[in-house]
Amino acid sequence: MRKILSIALSSLLSISMLPAWSANAATTAIPKAPCTKEGDAARGPKKEKLVCAEVQGSKIWVPRGGDLVVAISQDPGSLNPAATTAGAVHTASELMFNGLVELDDKLNPVPELAESWTVNKKATIYTFKLRRGVKWHDGQPFTSADVKYTFDEVLLKYHSRTRAAMLSALSVVNTPDKYTVKFIFKESYGPLLLQLDVTEAPIVPAHIYRGSDPTKNPANLAPIGTGPFKFGSYTRGAEIVLNKNPDYFKKGKPYLDRVIMRVIPNSATQVVAFESGSVDFLWGIPGPQRARLLARKKVFDTLVTRRNPGGANCMMTVSFNLRRSITSNLGVRQAIFHALNREAFLRNVIFSEGSVAVSPFSKGIVWAWGRNLKLPEYSTAKANALLDAAGWTGRDGSTRTAQGVSGVANGTKLSIDFLHFPTFSAYAELYKAQLREVGIDVRLRPLESGPFSTAVFRNRDFDTNIISYCNGNDPEIGIRRMYDSAQIGSVAFSNAAAYSNMTVDGLFQQARNTLSISQRQGLYQKIQEQLVKDVPYVWLVETKGTRIFTSSCGGFRAYSLFAEEAYCSS
Amino acid sequence: MSRYVLRRLAQVVPTVLGITLITFVLVHLAPGDPVEVLASGNGDEGYYSFMRAKYRLDEPLLVQLWTYLTNVLRGDLGTSYLTGEPVFKMITPRIGSTLLLAFSSIIVSMTVGIALGVIAALRAGKFLDRAVLRVSVLTAAAPSFWVAQVLLLVFALRLGIFPSDGRNSPGFEGSGFTRVLDTLWHLVLPLSVLAIQESSTLARLTRTGVVDQMSEDHIRLARAKGLSEFKVIIQHALRRALPPVVTVIGGRVGHVFSGAVVVELIFGWPGLGQLILSSSQSRDTPVLLGVLMIIAGAVVVTNLLTDLSYVLIDPRVRLR
Repeated sequence: MRKILSIALSSLLSISMLPAWSANAATTAIPKAPCTKEGDAARGPKKEKLVCAEVQGSKIWVPRGGDLVVAISQDPGSLNPAATTAGAVHTASELMFNGLVELDDKLNPVPELAESWTVNKKATIYTFKLRRGVKWHDGQPFTSADVKYTFDEVLLKYHSRTRAAMLSALSVVNTPDKYTVKFIFKESYGPLLLQLDVTEAPIVPAHIYRGSDPTKNPANLAPIGTGPFKFGSYTRGAEIVLNKNPDYFKKGKPYLDRVIMRVIPNSATQVVAFESGSVDFLWGIPGPQRARLLARKKVFDTLVTRRNPGGANCMMTVSFNLRRSITSNLGVRQAIFHALNREAFLRNVIFSEGSVAVSPFSKGIVWAWGRNLKLPEYSTAKANALLDAAGWTGRDGSTRTAQGVSGVANGTKLSIDFLHFPTFSAYAELYKAQLREVGIDVRLRPLESGPFSTAVFRNRDFDTNIISYCNGNDPEIGIRRMYDSAQIGSVAFSNAAAYSNMTVDGLFQQARNTLSISQRQGLYQKIQEQLVKDVPYVWLVETKGTRIFTSSCGGFRAYSLFAEEAYCSS
Repeated sequence: MSRYVLRRLAQVVPTVLGITLITFVLVHLAPGDPVEVLASGNGDEGYYSFMRAKYRLDEPLLVQLWTYLTNVLRGDLGTSYLTGEPVFKMITPRIGSTLLLAFSSIIVSMTVGIALGVIAALRAGKFLDRAVLRVSVLTAAAPSFWVAQVLLLVFALRLGIFPSDGRNSPGFEGSGFTRVLDTLWHLVLPLSVLAIQESSTLARLTRTGVVDQMSEDHIRLARAKGLSEFKVIIQHALRRALPPVVTVIGGRVGHVFSGAVVVELIFGWPGLGQLILSSSQSRDTPVLLGVLMIIAGAVVVTNLLTDLSYVLIDPRVRLR
């Protein structure tokens, strides 16, 4: 009996060890052969028809048609990206919409629904000339009225990022004629062009939404947009089917016939579905699984990017509560920074999917991150010296105690708490272990996002915590909130440290009112030099995402319209 | 009999109301609210107060509860904060999927479990009996998420004979019979996870019951009458052994629903389980309450059906 059982078990296990002999083994990678004349046709290795088409700026032979199956981990519920910033909604719906401009790899604005634009010297009036002949998916013409409606009634009310950035600054959106839109600001406003892509400001049709509550309009479940794909069907909790928009204003695109977004909440199942060939594209993949899959390079391709549906240029950041006696001391904060081996976080926690932060701002904002800054390097010797100097010289077991620390009773243990989402527990364990090396005791407090933001922002009940701050495309949108003294309050993911510095506040305001990128860069450099002196946060690691897809597909972009130029060999 | 049924049905209302009340209070006591989820790490004071006012989250808890209850009594389950859709409309397309998964697994586990139990009882003490008992201990003890992973790795990934996720193939456009086949093909793995656990419990229970019965006088009498061994077991021993098994099946319905939550998540099965998880994570109270009310109702009704089925199995039972 025992024998039979063990044979049964071991054969089951050995089956699961065997290499997969399913669909993927047969796929052939598409040769990325360059071609010259758009529209030319040829035959590929599998006798399929190839056309000469533009993919990411260069002309190559690509197959036409076919389906792309994309795994998404959440049923979005709504498909209106203008009324929310929720990542799940944006992932599933952005391909059906467009912004006025799109951003290229270097974050330069390029024309999309707007053909061209001019800005007055003071950066208070932006005039956009709209592309003519663009049609909504239902055949209605796209005009300036749609832009005005979208901003006035949807984005500036319900899109939390765009509302927070623009509502107070914007005076009015004018439409002098059907193809001209003017944004008039109360004061100089520099960052507008970085806030108009399909993620920050997707344009929705006024003729569908006017007169309704945009959060409840039935079109949110069967949207009408201008984008490369049209809505096909939506099966709740299961999948969303998008069909090619044959009248897309970018002639010849998209190349795929359908994009199918498949709801698979469990990431392990996503990987099984991907490996067994029923899914072509994953947005991300858990660390250990990633290494295993990447070893099979011939079958899969990857795209590593700082952009994610939930936000771009995200940085894992440790906040110090500047209103607590222990962490209000600069020496202690510098000591903790020195005590953290950030390389180890990069290697062991995120499996090198990112980089160690080199400045307070993400390097992804290519023009704004601080140059030549010296963040406190990993050195337990320096950390110990700083803690000694701060008066934490006593010992209780392995933990330091206070001996003449201002504001702290002698004999008090150097013990701090660390609040984190349960998903960040690997960061927490390493943080605790590394600080123990210099005699700091850390109490971990894992909290789900709701209780976390109540404790941190409303009650300020923490010593240190970790937050993934997504820096966005412009410091004005994603970074200022962390340092501006006006943003110390109960709003989630604002100024967690309660950092307050009049000079920094002033510089941020000045940068917002400046149009020239090089002038803004100078201002942000000054801000970051000050921040490195004050250490309100530990800028730990910048995280990246890895898209992974079968090598029979290609042409993906990291950002919003990720499949606009994608193709798959059938 | 009919008075009994009516009385039992009347109990559904207070049960469901009680569950609603408790859930409502629990959800509101937990920190965090749907606006934080909608803001997803962005937004300013202005956004928060605007949205809280829009969804009337700034009203006192008792006022919110009163509004909710009066709406429910008028048949309005409210509107999702997240999707702006009426809750009823969000639930209906998913009920079918969950019921299909739950009830097909109950039927399969009942058939397999009772059959295995009878076989084991017939061979009591022999090899087959010991095999059934030991395997059923193993499968009953294995956590369902683990069983699910093993089935996925073996049958979806390595052998590639069953799909890993969903209720239909990606972009499936067929209808009628082909659609049914496609659904059944997708049903096999999630169904197996639930059925494996349930059937092992039932197999052991049936086996014990039948073995106990076999030494009773009425069995000896039946044999003495010259009935075939098959008839003795099915008509006499099994029938007497069944009531406790049916009780367990009825009691396990709630268990199957909660098991379905895990299984639906792992296999991306588009049912209510997914909705429970996503709505509780996003504090989408109306949706969460709506789903829980439906499930509570379903459990109460199946328990009633269980009690009624005693009458069929055991003629001595009279319900009052």
